[in-house]
Amino acid sequence: MTEAARSIIVDITRCTGCVACSKACPTKAIRVRDNLAQVKHELCIDCGECARVCPHEAARSVTTPPSDLGKFKVTVAIPSITLYAQFGKDVHPGQVLKALERIGFDRAYDLSWMCELVAGATDAFLAESRGPWPAISVTCPAITRMVQLRYPDLIPHLVPVESARELAAKMLRRKLAAELSVEPHEIGLFFITPCVAIMHSILSPVGLEQSYFDGAISIAELYGPLLHAIKEAPEDDLRTHEVSPQGLLWAMSGGEIAGLRASSTLTIRGVEDVQHVFDRIESGTLRSVDFIEAYICPDGCISGGLTVEGRYRAARTIQHLSRQLAGQRPVKEETLRTLLRQNFFDFEKEIEARPVRPLASSLREAIALRHQRDALLERLPGKNCAACGAPNCETFAEDILRGESVVGDCVFIRIEQLERAVREQPAAPLTILPPRGSSA
Amino acid sequence: MSPDVLYRESFAVEGNDFEHGGNVATAIKATLRELGIASGAIRRLSIANFEAEMNVIMYARRAEFVFTITPELISVVVADEGPGIPDIDWAMQEGHSTATPEMRERGFGAGLGLPNIRKNSDEFAIESIVGSGTTLRYAVRLDQGA
Repeated sequence: MTEAARSIIVDITRCTGCVACSKACPTKAIRVRDNLAQVKHELCIDCGECARVCPHEAARSVTTPPSDLGKFKVTVAIPSITLYAQFGKDVHPGQVLKALERIGFDRAYDLSWMCELVAGATDAFLAESRGPWPAISVTCPAITRMVQLRYPDLIPHLVPVESARELAAKMLRRKLAAELSVEPHEIGLFFITPCVAIMHSILSPVGLEQSYFDGAISIAELYGPLLHAIKEAPEDDLRTHEVSPQGLLWAMSGGEIAGLRASSTLTIRGVEDVQHVFDRIESGTLRSVDFIEAYICPDGCISGGLTVEGRYRAARTIQHLSRQLAGQRPVKEETLRTLLRQNFFDFEKEIEARPVRPLASSLREAIALRHQRDALLERLPGKNCAACGAPNCETFAEDILRGESVVGDCVFIRIEQLERAVREQPAAPLTILPPRGSSA
Repeated sequence: MSPDVLYRESFAVEGNDFEHGGNVATAIKATLRELGIASGAIRRLSIANFEAEMNVIMYARRAEFVFTITPELISVVVADEGPGIPDIDWAMQEGHSTATPEMRERGFGAGLGLPNIRKNSDEFAIESIVGSGTTLRYAVRLDQGA
């Protein structure tokens, strides 16, 4: 996939140049210039936090256009488990799968059984692993990309078990091609996604050369048609009986560890907490923990930015469905063992660090720049108001050193400069404002 | 300051300040990363810093952390005001700890602190005066790869 593949775009007709996205961005990738949010792509991890906080819906996700479905002989939908949580507790997974087939997909397949298999593969990995500890789940692709960019030392901590969705697509493509006597590429596999982070992992995957999906469509986009389809034909479908109650829990934070044998586990949610805990792992202080599931969203996938149902109700629905189906175990131990022997779960490509271009080329130069930055910070007001376009004074200082901003972009410093100009020229008070960036 | 000192920064750590435990190690790590230091060196020094910082928080009244970069080394000196260590040889052995049950409850006091600092540094020295304090000096070489 090309480097330029992007999953979030700024709608310039809606962006007002407020600084909500810039302040929320976990990698400080956004600057507001000329009243427009601009993304520094080399820093973007496509997590979707900007879209989550934008009050004007100007940061928008790019998903697969429905016309892409026409390119394939057979179209297949694999919905995120989160889709089951959108229609209240009385709509069963089988009904949702059937509704997907009514609105235009030739087939729809459940993902929960693959989640259960991946839990088994994760247990098998943890049992044989010699560390480093804790192992970190790769289920949330924004977390994996954050590790590549900000925590490259933690790459060896990532569990080398591919995500359930990609594995389901891989298995289904093979199976369906044989079953329907079509070429694998004639099957269009689409993920129904709760977030832009997964959308991006299909465009630009990390542990794979290429995604097994042909695209992703957001839950929000399909919500209306699905709701109608469910109302029109509400009868349950036998496929509900093949759903894994354990796999259903993967829609919410805590779901992944709930099915693991490993007992020393943590769930971390939300950008700030993830960064706090990852800092601790880096300093080597969480070695007594075996496994961490981490989500960039505040509550796992049910709180993804492309969902409709509120996360609290969604959690209630998932728990209800899981409890209702308790006792069902669609995954056989033998299947897991066979797939493990075939290395079915393994990454196909090594996960590499994504280094950020350093400010300086030598240690001496870097230290000189650091001193300059500290001196600049002394001069800046420290209000972190973001009016200059950078999310805080520290980032602003770095932008100045990179030559991307000038000190006069700071409103406080400009006021000082104006006041000085007025004092020195009392005859013409406040009639002419110096141009932007002038040092008066 | 000797002429080949490229960078120096100091931090104060207060005893019993569990709330901010790890902040100094994290701040030094951020600086080293910003300066483009090899990640292997950063990782080792960060582990040593964290152990040293927690030792101060658990046992001492206060301490000053001074970290210095020269063309060859990143060095840290941690000088604390505290009870001192009566038997350094004993404390340097893995598994030897004077941590209270409360400290152990919080995951500390496995007796790995000082040995871990020595393990993760290329130069290591410790001096202690009982009733006065302990001074720890350790350094990581810059020439090691990732």
